[in-house]
Amino acid sequence: MRILIVEDEEKMARALKIGLEAEQFSVDVAGTGEEGFFLASTKDYDLVILDLMLPARDGMEVLAALRHKSLAVPVLILTSKDTVEDRVRGLDAGADDYLVKPFAFSELIARIRALMRRGKSETSDVLKLADLEMNAAGRVVSRGGKELSLTAREFDLLEYLLRQPGRVVSREMLARDVWRETARYTPIDNVIDVHIAHLRRKLDEPFSKKLLHTVRGVGFVLREETP
Amino acid sequence: MWRFHRPKRIRTRLTLYYVGMLTGVLALYFAGVSVLLFWQASNILKRLGEEDLETVKGLLYHEEDGQVNVREDFHHHANWKQVQERLLEILSPDGTILYRNERLGDRTIGGPPFPDEGVSGYSGRTAKMSDGTPIILISRQYDLQGETILIRVGYSEDLIWNELRDTLLVLILASPLILAGTAYAVYATVGRALDPVAKMAHRAQFIDSERLNDRLPVDNEEGELGYLASVFNAMLSRIEQSFEQLKRFTADASHELRTPLAAIRSIGEVALRENVNPAEYRDTIGSMLEEVNRLTTIVESLLTLSRADAGQIDMQVSVFPLAALVRESAALLDVLIDDKQLTFTLVGDESVGVQADRLYVRQAVINVLHNAVKFTPPGGSICARIQCDSQSRVELSITDTGPGIPAEQSSRVFERFVRLDEARTATNVGAGLGLSVARWAVQANDGEIGVTSSLGSGCRFWIRLPAVGCSGRRP
Repeated sequence: MRILIVEDEEKMARALKIGLEAEQFSVDVAGTGEEGFFLASTKDYDLVILDLMLPARDGMEVLAALRHKSLAVPVLILTSKDTVEDRVRGLDAGADDYLVKPFAFSELIARIRALMRRGKSETSDVLKLADLEMNAAGRVVSRGGKELSLTAREFDLLEYLLRQPGRVVSREMLARDVWRETARYTPIDNVIDVHIAHLRRKLDEPFSKKLLHTVRGVGFVLREETP
Repeated sequence: MWRFHRPKRIRTRLTLYYVGMLTGVLALYFAGVSVLLFWQASNILKRLGEEDLETVKGLLYHEEDGQVNVREDFHHHANWKQVQERLLEILSPDGTILYRNERLGDRTIGGPPFPDEGVSGYSGRTAKMSDGTPIILISRQYDLQGETILIRVGYSEDLIWNELRDTLLVLILASPLILAGTAYAVYATVGRALDPVAKMAHRAQFIDSERLNDRLPVDNEEGELGYLASVFNAMLSRIEQSFEQLKRFTADASHELRTPLAAIRSIGEVALRENVNPAEYRDTIGSMLEEVNRLTTIVESLLTLSRADAGQIDMQVSVFPLAALVRESAALLDVLIDDKQLTFTLVGDESVGVQADRLYVRQAVINVLHNAVKFTPPGGSICARIQCDSQSRVELSITDTGPGIPAEQSSRVFERFVRLDEARTATNVGAGLGLSVARWAVQANDGEIGVTSSLGSGCRFWIRLPAVGCSGRRP
């Protein structure tokens, strides 16, 4: 999986490169729109991550030029402009997704995976992690052979975490994907925390091996062991 | 091409306007005077003519050859200029000229007589002589020793015109004086009347963002300019007020942003100072990220509010049942309610609908409800009540059993960054913006929001919105 990052801010670009390489992607970085366009049109990438505010040639122009050359590579826009009009303009210009700065890195990873998955349906109804087993269609979940009795919200929450095992999920992602809250300023973080606490009580408390972990300042992750 | 340039100054413009008007009025007046004078003079002339006809008749005689003649030399006493200028013609009824005086010479006055001219009285009219000179003509038939004759006396209109010219000349010569006097008077009066404007302008020059407390001088509040000045002053007061608000907001916002920034900085610096194990680093970074999240939330809310202030948010108005919305909002927060063992009740009309943007009203209800949940101690209760105010307004009130707010502070809870309970700052992720957002969302939907409370007796927040399906008053 090859990813091109077009980002002029060095620190940001370096952080993205390190983070994505840790996720087993191979990453190139372009510091200007010109360089980005050159790399994207000469090499074969699976994804381009494009910052909109670039010196000389801005992201929108690069995107338009790429689409003009009928390069179909998926493009994810990163920007600090977050009005609905900006989003619409970006998506109209041929972007595949749009992420507003500042964003959670876990969210970026989730979006990238979603873009890569696009077209391939691989949603399985039976999800497993260690001795945890979930039948999403039947809405049954058990651990160590014992069925857990979860509320609907707790079940949705667990399913969401279970569908991305080992990956950290931010509160924002949970608010949007599990609670379907669109406004980011809704006081929902407390609600999420309490639900996580309830889920943890039912999922982990009776067992010695803990699955649900809190990554301080980032979010939550479902995995077998703390690294 | 020559173009008329409109003078820039009101003073000049008014002066020119008045002088122009007066010139027009004078011209009309002169014209009227002329017509009147002409009419009067020609009447006088006609009466003179009638007298003159009688005189002439008395002076007529036949010469030996039967020729008609007039003893014009008899007129030595004539002191009338008009009579001296008299034109005289004597005709027989068939138009044969019997006599013309010297002044008339070869010319004719009035041409052949019309039927019955001068038969039953004097006939006076204006006419033209054969050489085109306009005249006033009076004629009458007489019987001269058995012979019927028609006597015509005429006077040139020039006589009248000359008189008229003299009168008009006097009037016109006086006009520039009148006009100049008027111009000066208008120029001076307008200058005095506009004096406050100059004063206001002078004062206004020195009013800027630093000196918004300055005001324009008000000369006479009843007058137009005084009114203008007080309207401007009221405007300045409003601007000053919102400017102050903005200043306070900016100061508060930077303070709010500074708190998490300071935390990030000290956490980082302390962590770098000593050798710690990876787990501790992890903890440090996590703690820094928590502060970053706080910063993000603050910035998000501020952006939303500033966009709302700028009117950049469109409302998607629909009609939806209020009870369902309240229930949904409570459901979102139910874990928090359960955790604190609070009891939540909803009473009132289930069927009442609200006409507003559902998303934003929901936001407002959630924020107010969340506020109640936050401040009600464990075991307390929260009661939501839906009640029609009138046919078209519904009130949702949310009453809690929290500590309440001092009455004098209750108006401040909706202000940005106001947290009355300073101790809760650390856990309050909303950064004191939740109720501001709620207030904006309600007001943007043509609603009102408020709180009644006193210390120790809980709070009662109320939201009033446009309603559909309120059937009259309810207890």
